[in-house]
Amino acid sequence: MILVTAVIKPHALDAVREALSFVGIAGMTITEVKGFGRQRGHTEVYRGAEYKVEYVPKVKVEVITAAEMADDVVEAISKAARTGKIGDGKIWVTSVDSVTRIRTGETGPGAI
Amino acid sequence: MSLIAAANICTQGAVSCSDQAWLNTGDNAWQLTAATFVALMSVPGLAVLFGGLVQKKWVVNTMLMTFAGFASVLIVWVLWAFKMGFGAPILHGANWKASSDPISNFFANFVGHPGTTLSAAGLENQASIPLVDPGMPTFALPSASVVYFQFVFAAITPLLFLGSVLGRIKFKVWIVFVPLWTSCVYAVNCMLLWGGGYWAQQGAADFSGGYVIHLAAGVSGFVAAAVIGPRIRADREKALPHSLPLVAIGGGIVWLGWNGFNGGDPYFASADAAAAVINTNMATAAALLTWVLWDTYASAAKKPTFLGAINGMVVGLVAITPSAGYVNGAGALLIGAIDSTIVWFAWTYLSRASFMKKVDDAMGIIYTHGIAGFCGGLLLGIFADPNVVVYQSVGGAQSSLKGLIYGHPKLLLIQFLAAITIILWDGTVTFIILKVIKALMPSHSLKMSDADCEIGDLAAHDEEGYPDPEGAHRVDPGYGERDPVPAGGVS
Repeated sequence: MILVTAVIKPHALDAVREALSFVGIAGMTITEVKGFGRQRGHTEVYRGAEYKVEYVPKVKVEVITAAEMADDVVEAISKAARTGKIGDGKIWVTSVDSVTRIRTGETGPGAI
Repeated sequence: MSLIAAANICTQGAVSCSDQAWLNTGDNAWQLTAATFVALMSVPGLAVLFGGLVQKKWVVNTMLMTFAGFASVLIVWVLWAFKMGFGAPILHGANWKASSDPISNFFANFVGHPGTTLSAAGLENQASIPLVDPGMPTFALPSASVVYFQFVFAAITPLLFLGSVLGRIKFKVWIVFVPLWTSCVYAVNCMLLWGGGYWAQQGAADFSGGYVIHLAAGVSGFVAAAVIGPRIRADREKALPHSLPLVAIGGGIVWLGWNGFNGGDPYFASADAAAAVINTNMATAAALLTWVLWDTYASAAKKPTFLGAINGMVVGLVAITPSAGYVNGAGALLIGAIDSTIVWFAWTYLSRASFMKKVDDAMGIIYTHGIAGFCGGLLLGIFADPNVVVYQSVGGAQSSLKGLIYGHPKLLLIQFLAAITIILWDGTVTFIILKVIKALMPSHSLKMSDADCEIGDLAAHDEEGYPDPEGAHRVDPGYGERDPVPAGGVS
């Protein structure tokens, strides 16, 4: 089992969700996050005072799935979230030792 | 005037306890209070009502356009527009007489001569509206009270149809469009119905602006939304309000502000002013509850909703506006319930028609103001009660209005024709003004770019509604630079 984590532009979330459900992913976790990579922040001005705001709002998507799905899931997210401009985000894959479905106590791939 | 003479006026029970014989302090105090109530409906009322209804990324843009629009109307109002709406008609010579040709009569009585209200006399002389004066008791107010009272109406009208064009109109376009609209559209509406112009002469009535303001805002907003073009697709598909508590604050200010809106229109702190205030609240209560009932029993979700209640409230306020001081309490309750029902069905079913979907009227102003105002003006033609007296004595007779159910069906026809005039004039002139602005804009576009619309406030103003201090640091000169470490290190 693997955990696919993607940090994407908020606008891309709907497209990513659709692409993931197309490859058979039935669940995911979404978090609003802030951060920066190569895309730096922007300037804001309040009452004539200029501020550099370093962090850009992003959405973090987390998907747990079977290891053999890794390529499909990464490709689906990457295609759906790509605009070709700086700030499209990152995807990384980590392995997962165990998964438990709380309601039934089921463990392993069947619990995904 | 000596103190004794002034005291005499008071003790004799004459109209005034001020130092000017024609001025009544009670009337003037109420007029200035009512005007301030109406101004509060715009700022902050509509600023936070619309601010709460838009997405978080548009709240600053929405509030700025409300405040700046309010300011821009006042400038043209005192420089030329008040006189265009309430001054002497532009084509009246000294010996003008109504002709038998309605078209030439119309154009002789549709707009006033532009002029300022800036002089000392323009502020402090006894108020006068040349074509209206013969039909009402002498004003007990100074000019400034009437100019300001009418300004707050002029200001709120474009701010209402701001709701149609939110979320994409360029700020620069808005700030040019509003004063032009006030001058070419609103001033004409005023003259036709309130300044004693053509439709007033024909017997049409509009107590506080069902046509002059709300039908005008609905039609102009719809045309403007069509000419400017829609919001970006993502914003239309996810037009989620970002703060219902802000809507509650704005909505409450709008409701209670309406006590000044309708209560100030007799120009006297009279019995009719009091009738108009409670009628306004009755119609609003009936309309709010009617909308909630339809939501609960006829909507897809079959649940009462807060934003539905706010829609019903607005429709009730708009519905009673043309008739607040002309109908009795039963009429007010019925007007609220009937208009709310009509607009609920239009909102629910007419909105599915393809041409209604095509035009992106962001807040649905065509329904809650356009259709609500149109029907409110017709309902006046039905329910106007001749026993509800506006003025006790005009030329020795009581002044009131008689509607269909009291045996005067002609009022309904006149109301209908006045409404059609407003629809045609406002729709056409709004279209022309925006096309001219579009041709003159360097980009030939009235909308922000799609990329800027995706970002919203930050792209348009470098401000956001709820700034986050995390990661922000000041960078203008003198700030944000670390003190250089002195040679030899810190001691």
